[in-house]
Amino acid sequence: MKKGLIFVLFVVLISSFAFAGGQQEQGEVTIKWPSIWVGKDSKAPAVAALVQQFNEENAGSIKVEVEEQPNYDGYREKIRTSIAAKIIPDFFTINPSPTSLAYYDSDGILDFNEVMDADWKAMYNEGTIAQATHKGMLKSLPYEVAITPVWYNKALFDKAGASIPSNWSEMQDVMAKLKAAGIIPTSQMTGGSNAWTSMLWYSHFVASLGGPSAWDKPLSDPIYVKAAEMLLELYSDGNTSIDAIGGDAGVSGGHFLAGETAMFINGPWYIGRVKNDAPEVYANTMVDSAPAAGSNAGAQIGFLQTNLIAADLRESDPAKHEAIVAFTKWMSAPDNVARISKEAGSMFAIKFDSAMIDDPLQKSFIEAANSAAFTNKHLAGVFKAEVVSEFGQALGKMALGDATPAEFVEMLDKANK
Amino acid sequence: MVRENNTGKIILFLLPMMVLYILFFLFPLLYNLSLSYQEWNGITKPSFVGWENYKNLLKDEIFLKSVKNNLLWALVNGFIQVPLAAGVAFILARQPRFWKSLRVIYFLPKVISGVAIAMMWRAIYNPSYGVLNAFLGIFGNEPVNWLGQIGTALPAVMFQEVVYIGYFMIIILASVMSIPVSLYEAAQIDGANVFQQEMNITIPMVKTTLITAITLAMAYGMRHFEATFLMTNGGPAHSTTVMGLLLYNKMAAFNYGEATATGTILIIMGTLVIIVMRRLFRDNDNASVSQ
Repeated sequence: MKKGLIFVLFVVLISSFAFAGGQQEQGEVTIKWPSIWVGKDSKAPAVAALVQQFNEENAGSIKVEVEEQPNYDGYREKIRTSIAAKIIPDFFTINPSPTSLAYYDSDGILDFNEVMDADWKAMYNEGTIAQATHKGMLKSLPYEVAITPVWYNKALFDKAGASIPSNWSEMQDVMAKLKAAGIIPTSQMTGGSNAWTSMLWYSHFVASLGGPSAWDKPLSDPIYVKAAEMLLELYSDGNTSIDAIGGDAGVSGGHFLAGETAMFINGPWYIGRVKNDAPEVYANTMVDSAPAAGSNAGAQIGFLQTNLIAADLRESDPAKHEAIVAFTKWMSAPDNVARISKEAGSMFAIKFDSAMIDDPLQKSFIEAANSAAFTNKHLAGVFKAEVVSEFGQALGKMALGDATPAEFVEMLDKANK
Repeated sequence: MVRENNTGKIILFLLPMMVLYILFFLFPLLYNLSLSYQEWNGITKPSFVGWENYKNLLKDEIFLKSVKNNLLWALVNGFIQVPLAAGVAFILARQPRFWKSLRVIYFLPKVISGVAIAMMWRAIYNPSYGVLNAFLGIFGNEPVNWLGQIGTALPAVMFQEVVYIGYFMIIILASVMSIPVSLYEAAQIDGANVFQQEMNITIPMVKTTLITAITLAMAYGMRHFEATFLMTNGGPAHSTTVMGLLLYNKMAAFNYGEATATGTILIIMGTLVIIVMRRLFRDNDNASVSQ
């Protein structure tokens, strides 16, 4: 009797496992997406709505589960360690850089060349697919793009009786007028992982001094020292806030949002933040190219901001592979991209009807991109991570008077080697 | 008394922890060591480079700066934080009014997230709206960018850590409270004042605890990372950088070879600090015994 009962229980247990396995096989495919576009990110609501709609339209067959990763550094850390451990998330995003190109060496990441046809590729703006191609592979798909013009607070300029500077000499005059009116001319920062705002100012100066091929020049070229001299001037004589040295993005952005600084640099994703947190500043903001530091005027700093990546499951899990491709197409569909753009202010590598964009600041971003004399990458998009992290430290040293502009460039060069 | 042969049982009880220790400490340690002789970006196949990673580090001024800063952290923790903690513990052990509440208050920061504490101190040090500058401003002082100046950044980060003495205070207090009261009563009868009692009774009686606290504090100093990462990210101009941060940055740059070499040096230095401390105090013990 006892043996019989044990046998029955054993059979029930085994069949329950078998049933559970069968259920998983025949049930819906789950795509796990560790996403940074959550929480206070300006794209979060639009992306959440798109995921929800995709799940509803594919109920019973595909389900996308978003794993919230609200912290950028933590997110990058998770992605890096996951890939190193060969546990590739099903679907995720990266900020393309020379360092993240190492991901292209992973066998577990899908080469989109294998799944994209000509029609799909035709959806992308000129040159973006080529920019994301490395060693002949397209292991990350261009998605969000950006230009980072200078944000000018017109109300502060008016208060100081200044106009938007078009060259360096005018910039110096404008800074003097702003300071005389008690206004801090520029937002700067040496902190964070890449001294973002100041790194963009420097990139603008390098672009203007060196032209479209500026970054092709070695760091021994005088343009880098000249650009450093200009950046140093932005840190001198009250041209930026007292907390710029050591300050992070919260500091540089915070002063602009508070209406304390007249000039700031960031990408279109910041529009939502300004609109929500500082409506008065938003109403008075215009964007334009940086004042020409050299002979090349009207340059913009533009780059692939975020690319999509997927695990290569073609052989190990064909059903999930198909689901991932379907979801990638959904997220890349022009109408869906337009929805995110409209809500968050972001710009995309995918062509979409920009007529639906009604935000004036977002429109001016698009106009600035269209009217740019040429577009260059920023320093962090050109150099490896060691140089990028050294930038803030070297800048701090220069701004504190412990290094000359030439020594600042030497520090970058050393990190590069 | 018949001594039972318990070897089998002892091994049986120790085995689970030993297995975990091997799996999660010794194996990663050896793996870390092996990686430090390789060039590896975490994705492609590693290649053997011999001592190259170590040579690169020893030539690197930033690495040498981080070693110096870690040693400074160890010294400050061991010889400023612990004596402060001991001083407060000695006072509280005499059970003044509200001593129990004070004990809780001193220990409280230890149960609060280090991230929250670091963020709070960043706000305190903020040159524009920070309370420290506001206070100093009352006396006519100009605002100071505490975390943005080479001369002030490291002391500022150290101060926010050293001031929280709760952990070591609790350890030392527990030890002081276990000293028989009769010793102090006898000393009082002999006319010893409070200072003499602390010097001649308390300190010798809790010496082992003090040595343990100093060793622990120095070990924490050697592995310091969190507050520096959150408050200055090693800046300005690498003035606050530490080995843990360097290791983190090298990992972020996919330079796993140099990152693990940094980790190995960090482990060796941490071990050396502990050995030196033990030897130093053991020698003192021996000296005092021979006297």
